[in-house]
Amino acid sequence: MKPAPTLSTAFLHPAGQSLPEPLLALRKQRGTALVDMPLPTRKTENWKYSSKYLKLTDDMAISLPAEGKTGSSLAVPGYKVAFLNGVMMPEACEYPDLDGISIQSFSDLSDEDASDLADRLDSTLDNKAVQMARLNSARFEDGLLIRLKPDAVLDQPLFIVHEVTAEASGSAFPRIFVDAGRHSQITLVEEYISSGSAPVMVNTVTEFNVAEGANITSIRLNMEGENVQHIGSTGVVQQRSSRFESHTVGFGGPLRRHDLQVRLEGEGAECKLNGVVVTQGKQHYDNHTTIEHVAAHCNSEETYRNIAADQSHAVFNGRIHIHQDAQKSNADMNNKNLLLSNGAEIDTKPELEIYADDVKCAHGATIGQLDETSLFYLVSRGIGRREANVLLTMAFINELVEQIPVEAVRETVQGRLNHFFEQTFQEA
Amino acid sequence: MATTDQEVNELIKREYEHGFVTNIESDTFEPGLNEDVIARLSGIKKEPEWMLEWRLKAYRRWLEMDEPDWAHVGYPKIDYNSISYYSAPKRKEDMPQSLDEVDPELLKTYEKLGIPLHEREKLAGVAVDAVFDSVSVATTFKEPLAKAGVIFCSISEAIRDYPELVQKYLGTVVPHGDNFFAGLNSAVFSDGTFVYVPKGVRCPMELSTYFRINAANTGQFERTLIIADEGSYVSYLEGCTAPMRDENQLHAAVVELVALDDAQIKYSTVQNWYPGDEEGKGGIFNFVTKRGAAIGKNSKISWTQVETGSAVTWKYPSCVLRGENSVGEFYSVALTNNFQQADTGTKMIHLGKNTSSTIISKGISAGKSSNAYRGLVKFGPGAEGARNFTQCDSLLIGDRCGAHTFPYIESKNKSAIVEHEATTSKVSDEQMFLCRQRGIDPEQAVSMIVNGFCKEVFKELPMEFAVEAGKLLEVSLEGSVG
Repeated sequence: MKPAPTLSTAFLHPAGQSLPEPLLALRKQRGTALVDMPLPTRKTENWKYSSKYLKLTDDMAISLPAEGKTGSSLAVPGYKVAFLNGVMMPEACEYPDLDGISIQSFSDLSDEDASDLADRLDSTLDNKAVQMARLNSARFEDGLLIRLKPDAVLDQPLFIVHEVTAEASGSAFPRIFVDAGRHSQITLVEEYISSGSAPVMVNTVTEFNVAEGANITSIRLNMEGENVQHIGSTGVVQQRSSRFESHTVGFGGPLRRHDLQVRLEGEGAECKLNGVVVTQGKQHYDNHTTIEHVAAHCNSEETYRNIAADQSHAVFNGRIHIHQDAQKSNADMNNKNLLLSNGAEIDTKPELEIYADDVKCAHGATIGQLDETSLFYLVSRGIGRREANVLLTMAFINELVEQIPVEAVRETVQGRLNHFFEQTFQEA
Repeated sequence: MATTDQEVNELIKREYEHGFVTNIESDTFEPGLNEDVIARLSGIKKEPEWMLEWRLKAYRRWLEMDEPDWAHVGYPKIDYNSISYYSAPKRKEDMPQSLDEVDPELLKTYEKLGIPLHEREKLAGVAVDAVFDSVSVATTFKEPLAKAGVIFCSISEAIRDYPELVQKYLGTVVPHGDNFFAGLNSAVFSDGTFVYVPKGVRCPMELSTYFRINAANTGQFERTLIIADEGSYVSYLEGCTAPMRDENQLHAAVVELVALDDAQIKYSTVQNWYPGDEEGKGGIFNFVTKRGAAIGKNSKISWTQVETGSAVTWKYPSCVLRGENSVGEFYSVALTNNFQQADTGTKMIHLGKNTSSTIISKGISAGKSSNAYRGLVKFGPGAEGARNFTQCDSLLIGDRCGAHTFPYIESKNKSAIVEHEATTSKVSDEQMFLCRQRGIDPEQAVSMIVNGFCKEVFKELPMEFAVEAGKLLEVSLEGSVG
């Protein structure tokens, strides 16, 4: 057997030395651990369907330059933070000084805060399951630390725009750490966009530490161009009676990967994960989610919908793990998929791993095409076939899109999806 | 609940009823595996040259393979050189021609197992090709089968008497390099069953083989090949028990089914091998590759299994649906107790147009056991209009056990439709209360509820097996609720 390929050493040279000392030390230590890290292959279980899309050439190891202008694609009311190629751009940020809420770039942290943060970075992620997130830990050049004191409430959504400018090959490693105190509340919108057309990689890590009773809403929009490989990891740890809600909307690309891991550590914690993915052309998208029910009396609800057109490839892997002490857990996972073309492929794997007996767990998965009877119904009432197709396909995922709590985001997403389907069904 | 707990503990301690050893001298190979051993094995069985070549090819391939470690089970590493690869009852020179000539010790063993060959022959209409360790010693009902043109014999006989059929189909469904255990089996398989049902023949009776592992330290490597020619039908039953042993015994069987145009094969298994004692010591390792190829149009392959035994089970009866309109079915009840581990499920690979498959899997875990369903449903680009329905339910009894579901679903055809659903639950207090209120004791109540849970699968079993399966579950489950 030939040995698995390992990560090229070219990727082990981080740029940006402006971080506080403790974070630089952490980065160095993480980098050392990555020497000879095997890259995922077809035999790596959690990259089974995606490894062939992962193309890391040495010229992509260079950090993209952190200069230039940014522009958000979402012209919406709210607070703003802008990242360009993984580095925060203070001049493009807009947020007020609020009592009990601190929003800071990693570079601006005091040594004391930085050392505290260094101890906690990566703590929400199971590093064995998200190998590629370790690359971010070894390479991040900047990051955003959001700290909410107990009872602090951010009155408007915080938009975080991550833009990469792909004038030449390279990579960006944006990073966010959210520390939500007791009974605090925040709505966070992460938007990933790109300009330029050189092949680049974006490797992101977002972490949420959710204290007792806190309420977090996270919206993630993946709208980068056809030249961007995106590998994102999100880790969430929830304490007693907290609530985490996630809405991800993904458009395909050469490689799109999102790992979402939620640990319900305190009793009564609750999470809701929604996801929508559309792919076309030769695009690819892979969503991997894990929900760990560690404590008793927790609820989780997960709904993902994929639509694959042309020769594209969509993957869903959901895992629910109920630990032995997590009695009275409720977990529900649902994944529905629509295949619009014979060249397209959908792979789904809804897993349950259960070690407690007094639990209610269910999962369901379907793959199919649009229902002929519904199509006929619409066509027989004078609606054109193409329009009927668009209508039904939109309806298939709109159920989830409608749940996005920020109106401006919801409308933008709906508009883009509608445009996408109208394009897809043009020939039909 | 104090009394119940006590009863429960007593019941849990109930020992394996079928644990006994028949004292027959065995002609056994020294432990170890190399090309010489395979040549000797092939020589003893008087196999033709091509068969030896076939085995050696498999062996060489196997040497390059790694033991799979992805299953959700854990067991001590197996030293394949400490296993003896052949064991036969002593008096092989004068193989019995009829039942009267069969070693009375053997007959007694079968009686203890509840297979009174000579009485059941006509009563039940079942022909039993009983495998004692590795060599077939008694075969019944050959004549009526021969009249219908059905070939039902040991695979060794088939290799000698029907080489063209064996050569044509052996290894076509499960090739040498398919997986580690199938490779090992291909190299060293000792014996097994061969069935050929000719064109248009409906096999006049249910065919059945009872396996039994006996001599200590002997891996058992069964090889089964069933071919249903155009328009034929056959129902095959397989059932297993093994005597009590402290040392783990390895069982790596391969079953290949081939269904041609309009043919139907129904394969039922009741598996009750020694699961190890309540400490998790001993027990059989059951690493089986079972696969059916529905290569003909309108063919159908149906697997039904009731699994209650073995310390570790690794088994995925599968269907490759190649022919147009072919149908695959999988009905399974897997029960684990104490320290048993099961990783079992099925693969439905849809290649042909309008193929359809149904998967009903019921997992019951009790004690400290772990029970996993692992399944694959795959639609190739040519699987126009294909359809799958999967339902896998788990029932947990006790809070120290695990129930897992790992379904893989892959689709490359837009007109294919797949539905998968899974639930996990426990025997609820309400159900128990309802039963107890009506004067049903807790043991019976649980047994009743579990039987209800498994009903969808039991109704697929042939009558005799359904009765046995129900009983098996009762015995295996008794005492697991308190």
